[in-house]
Amino acid sequence: MISFLILIGIVICFSAILALALNFQWGLGGMVNFGLTGFYALGAYAAALLMLKAGANTFVAAVGAMAVVAAVCGLVAFVTLRVTEEDYFAIVTLGVGEMLRLVALNEDWLTKGALGLTGVPRPFGAAIAPEYYQYFLLALALALLLATLWFLDRLARSPFGRLVRAVREDDVVAATLGKNVLWARVRIFAIGGGIIGLAGSLHGFYYQYIDPTQFSNIVLAYAFMAVIAGGRGAHRGAILGAAAVMLLLEGSRFLKDVIPALDSDQLAAIRIIIIGAGLILLLIYRPRGFFREYRLRVDFK
Amino acid sequence: MLQTAFNGVVTGVIMALPALAVTLLFGVLKFPNFAVGAMMTVAAYLAFALNAQLGWPLAAAAVAAALAMGALCVGIDHLTFRPLRERGAITLMVASLGLGFILENVARFAYGNSARSFAIELARPFRVADVRMNYEQMITIAVSSAAMIAMYVLLTRLPMGRAMRAVADNPSLALVRGIESPRVIRWTWFLAGILLALGGVLIGMDRALEPPMGSNYLISVFAAAIFGGLGSPLGAFVGALVIGLVSELSTLVMAPNYRIGVPLVAIAVILVFRPQGLFGQPYIRK
Repeated sequence: MISFLILIGIVICFSAILALALNFQWGLGGMVNFGLTGFYALGAYAAALLMLKAGANTFVAAVGAMAVVAAVCGLVAFVTLRVTEEDYFAIVTLGVGEMLRLVALNEDWLTKGALGLTGVPRPFGAAIAPEYYQYFLLALALALLLATLWFLDRLARSPFGRLVRAVREDDVVAATLGKNVLWARVRIFAIGGGIIGLAGSLHGFYYQYIDPTQFSNIVLAYAFMAVIAGGRGAHRGAILGAAAVMLLLEGSRFLKDVIPALDSDQLAAIRIIIIGAGLILLLIYRPRGFFREYRLRVDFK
Repeated sequence: MLQTAFNGVVTGVIMALPALAVTLLFGVLKFPNFAVGAMMTVAAYLAFALNAQLGWPLAAAAVAAALAMGALCVGIDHLTFRPLRERGAITLMVASLGLGFILENVARFAYGNSARSFAIELARPFRVADVRMNYEQMITIAVSSAAMIAMYVLLTRLPMGRAMRAVADNPSLALVRGIESPRVIRWTWFLAGILLALGGVLIGMDRALEPPMGSNYLISVFAAAIFGGLGSPLGAFVGALVIGLVSELSTLVMAPNYRIGVPLVAIAVILVFRPQGLFGQPYIRK
């Protein structure tokens, strides 16, 4: 039971990092990312391939994955937003995400296709005894989550953080005040992408095995749910939102014992239905989520 | 080559229906609706229930499913999108994403992941000038063309069609002229539901019924609507034909698995050279 709780703890940590990334892009920056799952997969595959094919160590691989996802996200934002408005941006991210998933599925020479990549190395995997490894991984994931939180908190309070919120609230006003809106958005999306890359690397470290089916739409659903529930723009909210959603998802495994008539496809369907319904209900009845953005709290004093 | 082109035209003709729905919905509601794919899936399974499980002929099942889907869409809009109407396009997009998750998984819950097909008699394909065609493809072209012509007449000749175009063009001016936008929105959803249902049934006839059948077309359908100009019904039709044709023809020169790249490139090309789309009005930001 303890080890089950530790495993859930690790899953919560990297889900929370992913939720923080989406919260930065969408909650703070107002840029919808419907390709989140594809970018997440890109991060996981980039880290795994850097280790398996290029022989990089785990640290270099994780940093490399962050750089790759940040570059791809920045490029997508630059190319799309140079010519168009936000409505199209959502559609393009959806398309790019799907494209990335297809690359993972079809480029057998690189990603082994549907078989997936096995034997993904872990940080200090050889140095730490297997029976203690999960404690170490939990500590590592928690440390990275706190580091991400610290970084984003600093960023949100910095002048760049004000620019991010200004672009979200009204890009015309920001542009009128002499801010380069396009460049700001490219940076927002790329920074978020870097954090997605970190979450993706951790995903690989945890499972030691990645294949395309791990990156289904449920990742997108729970990340949006976590951010909405936590309150858009609120970092701690996003973390608690992710924790709540993951506990709900993991807890619903026990539903199978309660209602044995359901098969696993139906159970998976029920989970996504619950998340989808929760998303809409929160948007309607609790649009601000359960936590406030840092700026708003200052305004109330 | 000719065979591939013909298949592309059939795909395009199928996509024209959801593309028109997307463009109508965008015109009136001003946000891209990401639930349209799942709506096609649900409608296709509705038709499947009537056709394969209750033994109705497919035509009757399709008509019933279309009317039911139209009504269902009006109800869904009332419950989900109406309370969010004033919250901006991004919130509505996210809500439509959630709605898509719900609808697709309701279909998955009821019928599972395995592929199914309608109960229709298989007919031998016939050949015209070396191109193999089958009976279903003929029906597809006929149904889609008829629906397109009906929509054209409705949008240009009937008062409700004019009201829809007026609201799409300028909601506040339409309001000043006494057009009730809630009524227009209801009708738009009803018509979009019918178009999506027909599209879903045609996809199910062309390929097979499975939960992601509709969302697989989502990007292509958006690309078609954007290519033709969001808000332009004629553009949706032309855009769908272009995207369908180019997607199929692309398989001659590149791996068929990456067909999804074609709509993405199409979006990029049209946005660079003609951001309003082929038949769209230049978009002026207010």
